[in-house]
Amino acid sequence: MNGAVNIVITGLGLALPGVETAGDLLGRPDPSAAPVDPAARLGKKGLRYKDRATQLALCAAADALREAALPEQDGPDVAVVVSSNLGNVDTVCRVIRTLDEETSRGLSPMDTPSLSSNVIASELAIRFGLRGPNLTVCSGETAGLDAVRWALTLLRAGRAGAVLVVGVEPDNDDVRALTGAPRLVDGGAALVLETGESAQRRGVRALAAPHHYVRTDDPAPALRAVAGEPGLTLRAETTDPGWGAMSGALGVVQCATAVGWFAGGHREPVHALAGGAGLVLTATP
Amino acid sequence: MSWAITGVGAVASIGRDTDEVFSALLAGRDGLRPQRGFDQTNLNASQLFEIDDRAGGPDRPCRATGFLLDAVAEAVSDAGLTDLTGVPVLVGTGLRELRSVELWARGAAELTTDQLHFGTALRERFGATDTHTFANACSASLYALALGTDLLEQEATDTVVVAGVDSITETMFGLSDRVQLRPPAAVRPFDDGRMGTILGEGAAAVVLRRDTAPRAPLGRVRAVAVNCDAYHSTAPDPDGVRAAIVAAHRLAGVKPDDIGLVVAHGTGTPLNDHVEAAVTREIFAGVATQPLFAAIKSMTGHTSGAAGLLNLIVALRSMTGGQVPPITGLTDPIVEVRGFPLPSAGPLPCEATVAQVHAFGFGGINAVAIVEVGA
Repeated sequence: MNGAVNIVITGLGLALPGVETAGDLLGRPDPSAAPVDPAARLGKKGLRYKDRATQLALCAAADALREAALPEQDGPDVAVVVSSNLGNVDTVCRVIRTLDEETSRGLSPMDTPSLSSNVIASELAIRFGLRGPNLTVCSGETAGLDAVRWALTLLRAGRAGAVLVVGVEPDNDDVRALTGAPRLVDGGAALVLETGESAQRRGVRALAAPHHYVRTDDPAPALRAVAGEPGLTLRAETTDPGWGAMSGALGVVQCATAVGWFAGGHREPVHALAGGAGLVLTATP
Repeated sequence: MSWAITGVGAVASIGRDTDEVFSALLAGRDGLRPQRGFDQTNLNASQLFEIDDRAGGPDRPCRATGFLLDAVAEAVSDAGLTDLTGVPVLVGTGLRELRSVELWARGAAELTTDQLHFGTALRERFGATDTHTFANACSASLYALALGTDLLEQEATDTVVVAGVDSITETMFGLSDRVQLRPPAAVRPFDDGRMGTILGEGAAAVVLRRDTAPRAPLGRVRAVAVNCDAYHSTAPDPDGVRAAIVAAHRLAGVKPDDIGLVVAHGTGTPLNDHVEAAVTREIFAGVATQPLFAAIKSMTGHTSGAAGLLNLIVALRSMTGGQVPPITGLTDPIVEVRGFPLPSAGPLPCEATVAQVHAFGFGGINAVAIVEVGA
């Protein structure tokens, strides 16, 4: 599945506490840094009634699209693939409490979009005018790397000229209680993927090349068998400096970390491992 | 290129397997009943198309997972498979296990995060490891089908299972109750008197193969087109719907003249049905013989993530069985559909061999499939 078309990352956006650049991900970012402030990054316009996960996704996506030099408001063949397992859990919990306290008459129609789990991907499409396939992956801990896999699939199928991939999870009392984690990452990352040929034609820089996605009980040896020894192996515990559970953000933040690794001059490949999913990222010429 | 469908499975309020569901549809039987899952004191509307599996007891978590397993088991057995080790399983859903989250939030059920997606249960039951849960609103199962065909085209897999599922959440029912101030008494797709949609529960599954061995296919998927309006978080956009239909024809290598049957999304909401019908009429404006135009949601309710694949199975059964189910409740068709042969008085004979299947979702995510049966 992997060799035929060369696909590269050409845009990266981060919405993580204490992180400015991909290189910061390789140090030890301060997990107690201030939470990401979407209004400060994007302006308040258009954020009202958007849930926290959607706001964080918009922050990361804006930077990734800008770096990839895609038009601000017009993407007829740009697809969106979002990974988030917990993004709308807070809305569902809040609306069920309102229903119990005030009956359906107390509900706000403004909550309707966020009750559907595809809200992040559809709001990204609306804000940035992205009219390609629009997909939300909620497959658990593997979801972030799965999202990259489906982006590769969409590009190889010719269903899109570029794909915006976003992995994001919010932090709030409801998701802490549900996951049992003391806190969650409250952020995420965004990537733009396209073919190497498209990047060259558009004159944008390739930051890394993802390939060899595997899904198996033990992806580490499977990756080594197909792609050789890595220079850096990223697991959940080596990706998170103390933000807390990363869930659907994990795999996409790992790809961002790989971009930082190559930006720092390393050439050896990175193996990203999230649950039963694995992905190889290599440096681009 | 096209892909063989070697097994199908379906569960809905009107039947617990594909035969039961399709014969109920042909008979015009609907599954609309007083709702059984929720506290009525919080709600004005009182009717839903639920699957009656609570035996009068209290609501319980993971019912959607149960519907999914039933539909997949039927499809897998129909295809002559036993276990799914190494077979990708792609599940489209609107509301995942969010009903279980609601019960958990009230302290009425235990829930772990690995029960929020369907991979855990698919692994326990069928040994499947390459499992994917896509939350793609009401077009989710046809979106999953599109990706399933891409896997067959690109990868070293000969078989893919694609499914769709939804159970009703109290929050979505509550919001629909909030915005539909007069609860619709029925779902009446494409009728002038339609008052809105009513949610339904269901699951559907298909087994897709690169080749037909070892058994003859039930039909073939020619192509599935997917896109996004990028227009509004809940309202449809005719341009996006039109682009999806045109792309499906192009990918499938068919012209409007080749299509003998359209199985519409037809939710019974004023806006969806108007936009869908107007665009479909325009697409078929120049053809000599207008295609049959069918819709099932007056009988199944709006089954969201299951809806697209349920429509697809209805298209296959209608073509192989030679009869398309009626659109019950359609007494006064809107002007946009009056040019199509409409099964409004009862089932109509169906000689089509190529069908067009619609599924459109919140966020303007559109999916259109072209399927065919052997002549």
